[in-house]
Amino acid sequence: MWKEYSSGYIKNNRSSGISVITATFISALLLSLLCSLFYNVWKYEAERIRLDEGGWQSRIIGTFDAQDIDTIRNFAHVKNVIVNEASQKSRESTSIQESASTQEAVQKQEVVLDIYFDDMRTVLEDTPRIAEMVGISPDEVTYNYELLAMYLIRSPQDTAPRLLFPMFILITLMASFSLIIIIHNSFAVSMNARVHQFGIFSSIGATPKQIRACLLQEAAALCILPILLGNLLGIAISMGLLQMVNTLLGNSIAGRHEAVFGYHPLVFATTLSVTIITIGISAWLPARKLSKLTPLDAIRTSGEPKLKRQRSSPILAFLFGIEGELAGNALKAQRKALRTASLSLVFSFMAFTLMQCFFTLSGISTEDTYFEKYQNVWDIMVTVKDTEIDSFTETARIRKLTGVRDAAVYQKAMVKTILTETEISDEMKAFGGFSHASGDNAVKTAAGWNVHAPIIILDDVSFMAYCKQLGIAPRLDGAIIRNQIRDVTSPDFRHPHYMPYIKEKKTCRLLNQSGENGENSEKETELEIPVLSCTDQVPALREEYATIDYYELVHFIPVSLWKEVKTKLAGSEEDTFIRVLGKENATLKDLNALQTKINQIVGGSYAIESENRIQEKNTNDIQIQGMMAILSGFCILLAIIGIGNVFSNTLGFVRLRKREFARYMSVGLTPEEIRKMFCIEALVIAGRPILITLPLAVIAVGYMLRASYLEVEVFLAKAPLIPVIIFMLAIFMTVALAYYLGWRNIRKINLAEVLRDETMM
Amino acid sequence: MNILTCEGVRKIYGSGSNQVTALDGIDLTVSKGEFVAIVGASGSGKSTLLHILGSVDKPTSGTVMIDGTDLSRLNRTQAAIFRRRKVGLVYQFYNLIPTLTVRKNILMPLTLDKKKPDKEYFETIVTSLGISDKLEALPNQLSGGQQQRAAIARSLIYRPALLLADEPTGNLDRKNSREIMDMLKLSNRNLEQTILLITHDEKAALEAQRIITIEDGRIISDERRR
Repeated sequence: MWKEYSSGYIKNNRSSGISVITATFISALLLSLLCSLFYNVWKYEAERIRLDEGGWQSRIIGTFDAQDIDTIRNFAHVKNVIVNEASQKSRESTSIQESASTQEAVQKQEVVLDIYFDDMRTVLEDTPRIAEMVGISPDEVTYNYELLAMYLIRSPQDTAPRLLFPMFILITLMASFSLIIIIHNSFAVSMNARVHQFGIFSSIGATPKQIRACLLQEAAALCILPILLGNLLGIAISMGLLQMVNTLLGNSIAGRHEAVFGYHPLVFATTLSVTIITIGISAWLPARKLSKLTPLDAIRTSGEPKLKRQRSSPILAFLFGIEGELAGNALKAQRKALRTASLSLVFSFMAFTLMQCFFTLSGISTEDTYFEKYQNVWDIMVTVKDTEIDSFTETARIRKLTGVRDAAVYQKAMVKTILTETEISDEMKAFGGFSHASGDNAVKTAAGWNVHAPIIILDDVSFMAYCKQLGIAPRLDGAIIRNQIRDVTSPDFRHPHYMPYIKEKKTCRLLNQSGENGENSEKETELEIPVLSCTDQVPALREEYATIDYYELVHFIPVSLWKEVKTKLAGSEEDTFIRVLGKENATLKDLNALQTKINQIVGGSYAIESENRIQEKNTNDIQIQGMMAILSGFCILLAIIGIGNVFSNTLGFVRLRKREFARYMSVGLTPEEIRKMFCIEALVIAGRPILITLPLAVIAVGYMLRASYLEVEVFLAKAPLIPVIIFMLAIFMTVALAYYLGWRNIRKINLAEVLRDETMM
Repeated sequence: MNILTCEGVRKIYGSGSNQVTALDGIDLTVSKGEFVAIVGASGSGKSTLLHILGSVDKPTSGTVMIDGTDLSRLNRTQAAIFRRRKVGLVYQFYNLIPTLTVRKNILMPLTLDKKKPDKEYFETIVTSLGISDKLEALPNQLSGGQQQRAAIARSLIYRPALLLADEPTGNLDRKNSREIMDMLKLSNRNLEQTILLITHDEKAALEAQRIITIEDGRIISDERRR
């Protein structure tokens, strides 16, 4: 049947395949893009893990001699062994492949052996054997679970959720399923347009299998090129996207390395398979249905859209009269043929609108809670890695830089404190005191309430300035307490109600992180220090307080005091921070220059990461715009599937609906009235996605506004009306164009000829 | 020898109060080489009978044997193959494939079986039907009569056991109708083709050797004329 029928049909009826070709091309493009992006995300993650943690697969810590190391090296499947000295802060790495004299020099001392295998799949099996061989308990072995999980190697001990592959499989399945739902109808329309012909074939002896095979061969012939082109274009787009991300983000995000595009033949094979399966199922479903029609039913089908039972279109009839009713009935009769268009236009417009609204809300929230909030708090932040504040010596140099209005150096520590009932403020007691506390945020003990007490250790100059800000005599021998707690009963984080936490006091009792308060431990872990002030003002630092643990009582102390107490309290974090305020109205150029100078001063002696506020905002904006552009692209591609279906349907008008229009004309409907009917149909097809989406969008946005405690006016001022209106207009215009082209064909039909042509038995 | 045997054939559509009995116990035998006309008013069940005999539809009960094959036992694939090889169907509205030439339309049953045609037989059919000069034309380039002749040629190409014609002249003018009936008689006489002709046209029915009258799904008369 291919040679005799199908090939000729395809050649002479190219327009009937437009919808199928478009849908196939876009599906192949989307799936290819998905697979390619996933592969590159996977690749980037694996590279990141190797850069951050190292490429080792398993690790043994113990005392080994040269012979042990040699034995391990010679173990089957072991590719390399790297010896590291077991030290906490820094590591010197010595490759085992260096000279023999080095080997001799390695004496029996505790070392860390990082093992690399030729075949990673053997790591879980071989490493315990290796450990046993060198006298180490298998429990002392550690694995680079994060790296192994990237290669689907999981150990029962690895309880962390590794979601990359499951997410990919889930997303791909969802994408395939969605595409099948959307595009199988395109195939159905194309196939059902010839159901009468297939009925004839069946009546002269074509088996259901032959009919199915014929339809699938036609689908394959139509789809092979779009699948290949779509796949290739998907790869190209993913390459472009990666390049765009590299260009836009550059090194502005700390810890980010350049993503290098990669592709693997296996990925291409997977992509092609997924695409072919998706398209194959989409074609097979209607082919199977059609082949199951009895010859009688098939022959009797003229292809003309029909209503199975009486339907009315009261709204259209009310609005547009008889033309509205006819248009409504025609749309209902074409419901199946236009299902692809309906689904894809609704989904694409809904996804686009909701995405725009979500990002707008997110942007407002970020602006409000971060960028605006910290507008006059920081311009440049430097994180000095693995450095104690009391060993940091560059503070004065930074302050002297041109363009620096203010600089503060601080470190954080976490200790605990005990609050008695008498120390709690009356306002807090009125709100229930600690009755709403959960977890270990406030633990009742014999001595009182044990709460977290984060300490912000400021450099002395900043602490003195803070004292002046509060109007107290500057001193370096006490703490300033942030005396503020929010009303924990109100979930409105955007408009919190604050009250004093404690009553004014002269001293505070701090405990180390364990919070022990036993007989002996009191002397070792508890410390009483003077309180200089209890205040609701905090120094200008890029910090938030009591956002997770509402009951934490923040203390600010100078570094001079910290030096005296740190051995007792400990609990300091690893990094120290430098907060720099540039001059008023500093531009990006100013801040970049200042950042460079600071990096030069500090970067020489310390490991640092720095960021500047304007760059961060720009990067954030670019990221969001990039994401919105990508998601909008997906929405547009989805919409194109639907538009393709509309075009295919209207270009097929002449063949399928000419008897319908001939009947209208024969009873007196004028061409103008038929044109009005067309316009109504186009209006409904284009308008339906909007009518469905807008109320849902309003509900979704309303819910999001409530959840984020934002005012409606704030959202409306920044509502994404323009992009949504543009998308809407694009849908209307393309549908109008499709119907205009269909109208041009219908205008030309010969009434007598059409009424005479009969395809019924 | 009986080429067709129907015993107690019933066909019921719908269920409950919407039940319609289209055929109500048809018993019928047709010998090889007979030319039988089945007449009846609209809705009498004659087209339903033809569809069942053509394995396009299945009886609700009863048996239909054509050339030794019990149609009620055939699945859809077997019925299609049976239709291809054993039955020729001619419709009122020709039902040619509009995108295939006349030649390809005629040869379609053989093509489905991946068989090559007997050239001599093919030439005999198209010549006797008067369409040998129209073989490369498309159906829409032919007159109604020519299209019907092409449809008859298609029904004869496999030398079927039975040729079923459902109102073959219903869409033709008198001249063409005459010609079509002559073609059918010719194939019956020269090729010993067994023909069942459904018609409400008395003149057409008189061309047959035997006239069976159906009314309300039952055979009410069976008249042999010669």
